[in-house]
Amino acid sequence: MEKVCQNWPGEAFDDTLVNPNSWKEFEENAKAAAAEIYRLPDMKAAKAKVEELLQELEVNKTVAVGGDEYPALAKLFSDLKAEGKEIYTDKFEIAEEVPTADLGISTAEFCIGETGSLCVDNYSYEARVTSMMPITNLVFVNANYTTKDVDTAFQVISKVFDKGYMGFVTGPSRTADIERVLSLGVHGPNRLIIFAMESGLERGSN
Amino acid sequence: MAVEHRNLHNEIKEKLQDDIMQDALSRFADQYPGARLKSYENVESIDALRDRLRDMKLYTADHIEKVADDFEAQIKARGGQVYRAKDGDDLKQCLLKICQENHVQRIVKSKSMATEEIHLNKFLEAQEVDGQKLHVRETDLGEWMLAVAGQKPSHMVMPAIHLNRQQCAKFFSKELHEEIPSDIPFMIQTARRILREEFMTADMGITGANFGIAENGAIGLVTNEGNARLVTTLPRVHVVIMGYEKLIPKIEDAAKIVRLLPRNGTCQRMTSYMTMVDGPTVVMQKENGKWVESKRKQYVILLDNGRLKAAHDPKMKQAFQCVRCASCLNVCPIWTLVGGHVYGHIYSGGIGAILTGLLGNMEAFGQFSDLCIGCRKCVSICPGKVPIPDLIDELRARYVKQYGMAFPEKIAFRKILTNRGIFHKLLRIGSMAQAPVKSGKFIRHLPLFFAGMTKGRSLPAISDNPVRDRISRLAKNNPSNPVMTAAFFAGCNIDFVFPDTGESVIKVLQDLNIAVVFPEAQSCCGKPALGMGDRESGKAVAKQNIEAFEKAGADVIISTCPTCAETLEKTYAELFQDDAEWRTRAELFGAKVREFTSFVAEQYEKAGRLKPTPGGEKITYHDSCHMRRGLGVWEQPRKLLQAAKGLEFVEMKNCDKCCGMAGAFGMKYSDISLPLLNEKLTNIKNTGATTVAVACPACMMQIGGGLDQQMPNVKIKHVADILAERL
Repeated sequence: MEKVCQNWPGEAFDDTLVNPNSWKEFEENAKAAAAEIYRLPDMKAAKAKVEELLQELEVNKTVAVGGDEYPALAKLFSDLKAEGKEIYTDKFEIAEEVPTADLGISTAEFCIGETGSLCVDNYSYEARVTSMMPITNLVFVNANYTTKDVDTAFQVISKVFDKGYMGFVTGPSRTADIERVLSLGVHGPNRLIIFAMESGLERGSN
Repeated sequence: MAVEHRNLHNEIKEKLQDDIMQDALSRFADQYPGARLKSYENVESIDALRDRLRDMKLYTADHIEKVADDFEAQIKARGGQVYRAKDGDDLKQCLLKICQENHVQRIVKSKSMATEEIHLNKFLEAQEVDGQKLHVRETDLGEWMLAVAGQKPSHMVMPAIHLNRQQCAKFFSKELHEEIPSDIPFMIQTARRILREEFMTADMGITGANFGIAENGAIGLVTNEGNARLVTTLPRVHVVIMGYEKLIPKIEDAAKIVRLLPRNGTCQRMTSYMTMVDGPTVVMQKENGKWVESKRKQYVILLDNGRLKAAHDPKMKQAFQCVRCASCLNVCPIWTLVGGHVYGHIYSGGIGAILTGLLGNMEAFGQFSDLCIGCRKCVSICPGKVPIPDLIDELRARYVKQYGMAFPEKIAFRKILTNRGIFHKLLRIGSMAQAPVKSGKFIRHLPLFFAGMTKGRSLPAISDNPVRDRISRLAKNNPSNPVMTAAFFAGCNIDFVFPDTGESVIKVLQDLNIAVVFPEAQSCCGKPALGMGDRESGKAVAKQNIEAFEKAGADVIISTCPTCAETLEKTYAELFQDDAEWRTRAELFGAKVREFTSFVAEQYEKAGRLKPTPGGEKITYHDSCHMRRGLGVWEQPRKLLQAAKGLEFVEMKNCDKCCGMAGAFGMKYSDISLPLLNEKLTNIKNTGATTVAVACPACMMQIGGGLDQQMPNVKIKHVADILAERL
């Protein structure tokens, strides 16, 4: 999958900028922005939670990216498929199916404490439509990758951002254009669910 | 550019009677300041962030050509195309060509102020490409509703804040030709469904940019709805239309904007989406039933339209510090009463007047720039620290230079104000002529078309016994062995309207063992003329005053009016920037000027007289705009009141919000002035105080006049009077 950086931890992170220290602030701010967060110990817990969500949200069709970068996600997607779930991971299939999909599964590079934002690398078309078009977006992120604030986030970004498409996602799509009443899901997802993985979300060797 | 003939007073009246809008704006104005501060709670220093943003934007303005060249080179290196449009027409032709070359039929837009500035949609919708009329849709929910309604946005960030849900439902129904209930979630889902179709069938997406990074050619988009992400993802052509002022040098500079813009704009620590697009990206399209990948075409158009000239203007380049968060509107006492539409142009409020003027429409600037009352509330929160009232003053002066002044003002300033003898004689005649309408110290009713001026408030009468006539008597009490000499600059209001307060000032100073002199050649400080952009008259009275006080040779010059103090201390030296001799004299003069309460608090502190005393009768304090934000004085008068015997000091809500006087504004726009006054009176009433203290004679005139008609049981006193009573 096309990315601004194929290996963020290797090329952009260092312990002073990206570490687990700002988790609490991230969690607090992300929740304040209406994101739903599950901090999960491993992929086994993640799989159970995904299955629960598929049921709860009555998901018929899922589009998913990130399998080529994270072997554990590739396994999760193929396991779900083997269980008979309708899930699309090929980019052309995603393009075809995304207008009618009810869940998009995608990934983020790191979390920002100050704002509760996820830093997302959405250079690829399929990553963008997956995270924006379905009404629910489930995002996998490594819980150990947090930056203190927006300044440190941009220090990380400036190391690798040469071209492409990336940014921050902070809670679901929202508007207050009618009577300043907060309304979710006007163009993008109305639910942003974050799976913050304590382990298991290691990158593949590619 | 043509300027339509408008009756601003009627438009204002209409807005003040629009209950739906009034309700929305007053609730918003009430909630905004607290919500903004809450979003900054986890930031060490708001001010440090603001300084950093200002410095970065100023640096960019100073190096604008280089930054623009770098930006262009970076985009081209990544396969994008860059055009530079000198004005709206140039941009429209360029964009039409792009549409033709790419056989564009359908366009989706996400919010872009630059395109609104040049009325792009109207132009596009009238064009044909390949024999088909162009189909253009705004996709920001508020903008989309307004486009359907044929209305203009009233706020840069909340375009439809003036509407309620029933009105919105009507626009939905009109667009969809079916009855849509005024249920907000239903309307949101309906908009999602309709606009999704627009995104998926569009050939071209047009966005603005919140910033453009020269280092790598990326543009940044800050949105909540996510429409910009779809506009930049689904169509096969992406056009960015942005003004030069959005450029920033480095990737890390973006943090300097996005740590402030969402907090000030929408009271969020971050908007839902902050998206950066750098160069052409992949787009997927279905061809012959099969999905194929291709590179999206990316065009970036940099709009000049007066911006480059502004960047090279030593004063106006400060407009580059604006990040279009619109927070200046959210705290503007006038904007939050009348809304954005009366400003008549795309950019509303004080910053709107400036941008409209800079973008080449000085006539429109002249029409609505006086809706800025110079209260400086906006300056206290602007993320880029744009000195909005100062830039308006500067543009007013240029306007007067270019177009001249209206005849009555010209006579008033050039012939009367600059001639102290005539001016003061007229004031004395006024004190006699007002006899038929005067009752005690007030004028309570004026006949005929002047009636609006005394609606809800009385006007103070001009005294027949000004300070200058009392001075020989008062000077007899000067200490025989004084610690210093103070020259008293009374200003017109204290001298001719509140001479009793002038007397209090002299007594308080004498009690401090200070000798007081009153240079009789002193005149008006010149602010009325300067405020209207008449610097020539301003210079003339400045010279008179400087000369008069040089002769007095005092150690300090005391002013009891913050507006006078600010003018004497700061403006005089600025007026004579190109005149070395007078600049030096103005600086020496300015260095001696001291505002009364801050000076006295300092003396009392030294003498151990500034200790709080046990309470008694409740007293509250109203901060004058110029005192608090012009001079930075607000603690000292409070300390003086807390130390004054027999008083219990209580704060009122919005203690530093303008009372509605603001110089001539309160008279010229009495319709707006009155609701501001009433809000102030309500806040005073709610404290339960029996006295409201002020340190500004103009506020004393406005609030005192309101109390006289509406709450006669509450007294108003200048801090000087309260101190003098306790000697």
